[in-house]
Amino acid sequence: MAQPARAAAEGSNIKRNGVWSKAFNAIARKITGDGAWAYAFIAVALVVYAMFTAYPVVSAFIISFQEYKPLGSSFIGLENYKETFGDSLFWKSIRNTIIYTVLTVPVALVLSFGVAILILPLKKWLQTAFKAVYYLPVVASGVALSVVWLWIYDPLPAGILNQFIGWFGIDNQNWLGTTKTSMFSLVLMAWLSSHGTSIIIYLAALLGIDNSYYEAAELDGASFFQKLWHIVVPFLKPTTLFLFVTGIIGSFQVFQNAYLMTGGGPDNATTMVGLLIFNNAFKYFEFGEAAAQSLVLAAIIAIVSFLQFKFAGKDVEY
Amino acid sequence: MAKKFHVLASVLALSVSVTALSACGGNNNGGSAAPSGSASSSASASAGASTEKDTITMLLPPVSANYQSKFDQMAADFNALYPNLTLKIEPAGWEDITQKLDTQVNAGSPPDIAFIGSDGISKYMDQGMLMDITDSVTPEMLADYDEAPLNYMKRGDGLYGFPAYMSIQSIGGNKEMLEAAGVDWKNVQQNGWTFEEFRDAIKKGTVTEGGKTRYGFVFAVSGVTAKDYLNIMIKNAGMPAAFTQDLKFAYTSKNYLEVLKGIRQLIDDGSMPKELSSIDAGKRWNMFLTGQTMITGKGLATFENSAKQNNAKLEAKDASAVADSIPVEYVVLPMPTFAGQPPVSQAAVDGYVTFRGKKEPTPEHKANVVKAAYFMASGKVMAETNSELFVGQITKSAKEAAASLGGDRDPDNMAAVDVLQAHAAPARPDIPADLGAKVIKLEDEVIVPKFQALLAGETTPEEMYEAVKKAAIEEFGADGVVQD
Repeated sequence: MAQPARAAAEGSNIKRNGVWSKAFNAIARKITGDGAWAYAFIAVALVVYAMFTAYPVVSAFIISFQEYKPLGSSFIGLENYKETFGDSLFWKSIRNTIIYTVLTVPVALVLSFGVAILILPLKKWLQTAFKAVYYLPVVASGVALSVVWLWIYDPLPAGILNQFIGWFGIDNQNWLGTTKTSMFSLVLMAWLSSHGTSIIIYLAALLGIDNSYYEAAELDGASFFQKLWHIVVPFLKPTTLFLFVTGIIGSFQVFQNAYLMTGGGPDNATTMVGLLIFNNAFKYFEFGEAAAQSLVLAAIIAIVSFLQFKFAGKDVEY
Repeated sequence: MAKKFHVLASVLALSVSVTALSACGGNNNGGSAAPSGSASSSASASAGASTEKDTITMLLPPVSANYQSKFDQMAADFNALYPNLTLKIEPAGWEDITQKLDTQVNAGSPPDIAFIGSDGISKYMDQGMLMDITDSVTPEMLADYDEAPLNYMKRGDGLYGFPAYMSIQSIGGNKEMLEAAGVDWKNVQQNGWTFEEFRDAIKKGTVTEGGKTRYGFVFAVSGVTAKDYLNIMIKNAGMPAAFTQDLKFAYTSKNYLEVLKGIRQLIDDGSMPKELSSIDAGKRWNMFLTGQTMITGKGLATFENSAKQNNAKLEAKDASAVADSIPVEYVVLPMPTFAGQPPVSQAAVDGYVTFRGKKEPTPEHKANVVKAAYFMASGKVMAETNSELFVGQITKSAKEAAASLGGDRDPDNMAAVDVLQAHAAPARPDIPADLGAKVIKLEDEVIVPKFQALLAGETTPEEMYEAVKKAAIEEFGADGVVQD
């Protein structure tokens, strides 16, 4: 190497070393001070996040440009995205997922809110008992719940739901076997189960509203519904927004019910995008396409969440 | 604050969604991925005759009722035969073996041997994770097997394991009801029947009494089992495989449409329940044992044993007998044939499939894996298992070992199974793995969903046929499909 070039390189190394050394000293000062324990605690969460969230996300991003094979993947550019956007089943699954979300999330919020309002005036032990009852399906095995629901949806006249509708003179229905009823069956299942978390969050928020507001309203002669509309609903807006956003994110990722109850059928009428991604990844080993689809789904969820905050969260204070 | 929260929320939403795919994010290159035996045997001397210690890993489901309880004995017997070799068996349930195996395969560290259906070979071969054992198998081993089932374990020129049994999938009837409907079942067992004869028989077998209907025929078609029903039917309509001998996709043939029309007719006749699309395997077997159907499918040889066991419980007034069940004599029956085509039985060949890890297996380890697979898929081990399953032995060594085991099989059913086996669809190792994988996806994404709609009366046979044809042409090209 020529002399001047070598000198320049050495100079640059010294400068770089100086920068590193300054940065190191700054970090060392921070972690040897009172904040050392804080950094240690943060590190645990950070490592877990990096391993189980950040790494898989980055990995999925890379795989989405590959034809994945255990013995060596190959880069195929945007081919997986082209496949995804050109696949009519992908769009059908997005449509199904949106229908499912629109039908389940708002109703689930109203039901949870209603139940929380009903539980609120009860004595504490009774509140706890109801909370436990409503939370039970959350901790119960999804497979076990599905078995019960399959029993309820038995297509023959002896089926529980068919016997019930038979009392009203309605013919027995092939609940999970026709496109007319299969989506409704999954929606009904969502309506009648797993509101435990939302109920508990709503209840906690309701208990946080100061009694003085109700007392003042009562002095003004407000009715129950007026109090509900003018006090409870505004105070619960941040909670509702939180449950709405997380509910939609969860609903977009719905997989288990469709997988266990219908397998996506009939005629792909209940194929949700989560199920499609699962099938592509774990049934057909098309991990690249599955990764691309999951990133597209993530983008859709991000856009929907952004719009929710923009329009529904305008006047929400945190 | 609000703006920051928006950004944070969006990032979290992205993370949460993409994390759903976390299991896909395996590292292609890192980690020790070879099967346990590969590494340990890498320093071994000569192939086949090596006396270096080696461990062979297996992932095995409960093939028969007592199969998994014999693992320790199997491992001990194998070790006695080959003192330097150890069998390490991981048991799995039928419901989770595919998931377990898929996870291990995609991590690049599958077991050396897994018990799976031969129809799964294409999928794993396409991943490059199967081990071709052609050069490690001895002529004596090959000579032990019946040719037809052994061919199911081949793809191209490669052999990817040993078959355990060849189980014929057909249908089965209630002897008393068949006779009441005037069906000469012995003649049918030996000479088969046409679709028209079958349709007429199940019409006669459908009886409505007191507002309750006993159906002539119920087949489990809920979910993926729909594929079984359709595949069993179309084999008898001149389409023994998804591809013709010149590798053209066969299900665009006009005979396919005839089968679809026939299947719909059986429901429209009232001989099959209109809710058929939601009836699963457990439900239809319950319907058979409780006298709600004359014929059921798919039927396996072991169903005769299940029916006999339930009959014994009923006789002993055992409370564990199926609720409301009646004594049933199970009669093995063939599927009907369409449009004058010859009968072809659907054969399910399951067996011990051999896998490789990321590292190339050594010849010594490969030879040891072959020894273990052959040990499990022949002789005493297979004789006992197949006897429990009521399926025929497919190796000379198992036939010899089974001679002393006895059994309680109905001679008419045994003769009927022999006829069905004689008509078993031949294996098609010539179908390339990528075509096989494409067909599986086409079946799952187009054929089965449309078939479910057909069974539910939401589409016509013609519409389904056109949908399948369109998808097939998109996948294989106009020249790649049969156009008759």
